[in-house]
Amino acid sequence: MSVRVKGQGTTFQIRWIPKYTTVERFLHWLHTFTFLPLALTGLILYAPWLESLAQGPAGMTVRLIHRAAAVLFGGVPILYLLLQPRRVALHMREFLSFSRYDLLWLKAAAAYYLLGRHTDMPPQPRFNTGERMNALVMVVGTFTFGLTGLPMWFAGSSMPMGLYQALVVIHDAAFIVTVTMFLIHFYLAVVHPLMWQSLVSMRFGSVSESYAREHHAMWYFGEKRAKQMWEAEHKSHEEQGKEKED
Amino acid sequence: MQLTRRDFLKLSGAGAGASLAGGLLLSPGEVSAATPGPDDLGILYDSSKCVGCRACQMACKRWNKRPAEPDDAQGIYDAPQGLSADTWTLIELKKRSDDDWHFFNYQCMHCTDAACVTVCPSGALFKDERGFTAYDRGKCIGCGYCTRFCPYGVPHLEKQTTAELLSGKTKTAKCTFCQDRIAAGIGGPFCAETCPVGALVWGQRADLLTTAKARVADLQGQGLSTAKLYGETEAAGLHRLSILFGEPGEYGLPLNPASPVTARLWQGVFQWLGTAAFGAAILGSIGAFFVARRKIHMEEVE
Repeated sequence: MSVRVKGQGTTFQIRWIPKYTTVERFLHWLHTFTFLPLALTGLILYAPWLESLAQGPAGMTVRLIHRAAAVLFGGVPILYLLLQPRRVALHMREFLSFSRYDLLWLKAAAAYYLLGRHTDMPPQPRFNTGERMNALVMVVGTFTFGLTGLPMWFAGSSMPMGLYQALVVIHDAAFIVTVTMFLIHFYLAVVHPLMWQSLVSMRFGSVSESYAREHHAMWYFGEKRAKQMWEAEHKSHEEQGKEKED
Repeated sequence: MQLTRRDFLKLSGAGAGASLAGGLLLSPGEVSAATPGPDDLGILYDSSKCVGCRACQMACKRWNKRPAEPDDAQGIYDAPQGLSADTWTLIELKKRSDDDWHFFNYQCMHCTDAACVTVCPSGALFKDERGFTAYDRGKCIGCGYCTRFCPYGVPHLEKQTTAELLSGKTKTAKCTFCQDRIAAGIGGPFCAETCPVGALVWGQRADLLTTAKARVADLQGQGLSTAKLYGETEAAGLHRLSILFGEPGEYGLPLNPASPVTARLWQGVFQWLGTAAFGAAILGSIGAFFVARRKIHMEEVE
């Protein structure tokens, strides 16, 4: 897929590289738009200052919305696993692999996202360190919500009280962690001025070649070559620095 | 490009603002008074006087318009089998041997440190200013947390059909200390007013405590060495005091019925933690956005 852009006397081409399948994009947004009502209705039951929204018929509706959205929310990973198991395996393998390049990424990220300094950003695979952390939190969070929520819903009155109380507390902890992660994800993916391409890719499925090269070199060039390129470049930077010091 | 002092201050300010917002927005779940007040009301149940007539049970059902539960019966003495959404007070026979019989009246203990009030998200369960644990059914949303945190297993969800289990549209029910009678000034808890032998009495909690202590001393003086008062300090002081024979455990009463640590963790720690985390993430994002907008020159990067 390519787009021709005509400028003043020049024509240049943007090559678009597919990143997400249609199913993945659909499920991403389904997860988003079920997560939001779940988080909001959960917040109402959780925060004492929203108590007036959690009373009587309004509160009953809040609980009903929470349950209805929960069914769809929990359906997302199941659908993904059924429809594209190989993509799930591919991505899960990447989500679970962390290397020293992730430490470097975490070190360089603040300067990059705050100040736009990208020279220290190490090469990253299809998903960068932050995206993988977000993905892992959401995967673990979704299963935690399901494994604590369903028993509370259907076996709440028959299980031992201590177990029920533990489930409530775990459900709460998962709420805090996932919502915090969601807020960060929302900022970086939607609000941040440099990241507009990530939002575009989750809508249309593709990223531009330059974006892939810049942000996901291990994916674009292959892991080995991207590492070699970065090491070479990084060494020359260091040498230059030393020369200046001398 | 360096992070200037101004940017640093801006970010620190956002962090401090988040913590402050957390503190302001979030008062911890309704905190019940640490000790019973001087005007608090109470009920005293003296099992040495109880003859097991169950007039209290009938009175409770009658005043609160709760239906009978004829299917939940076994033998002659114990019916129904336990407290439920329709049975708010219950006499049980405690038969330890052929010549050691006691009765015990189970009902809401109206704890000062009431776990049900701590966990109730809608304020449907609340502490009345006279100390007992009152209930506003209109506010209840049927979440059932109270039924799973009460150390005495007092609140119960109304019986639900499968459809209601899916939608969660049933509410909780429990003894209300006959709050409507108190509010209307027509008397006290109907169970205590009905008791024909004075085994259940109601009044000022402080007076009942004096009466109960004297009665326990009296019983012990008569050689009933196992006589004992329950409820003076449990859960920061119960508003239903009991005179027992033997250990609380023999009556299925917990020795330490304070709000479970899970309720404290949930309402006391996690709500603060959550609001602080959300506030920091939101305000941090806003701060970071302004720094990024000023510092990042798109034409350089692209």
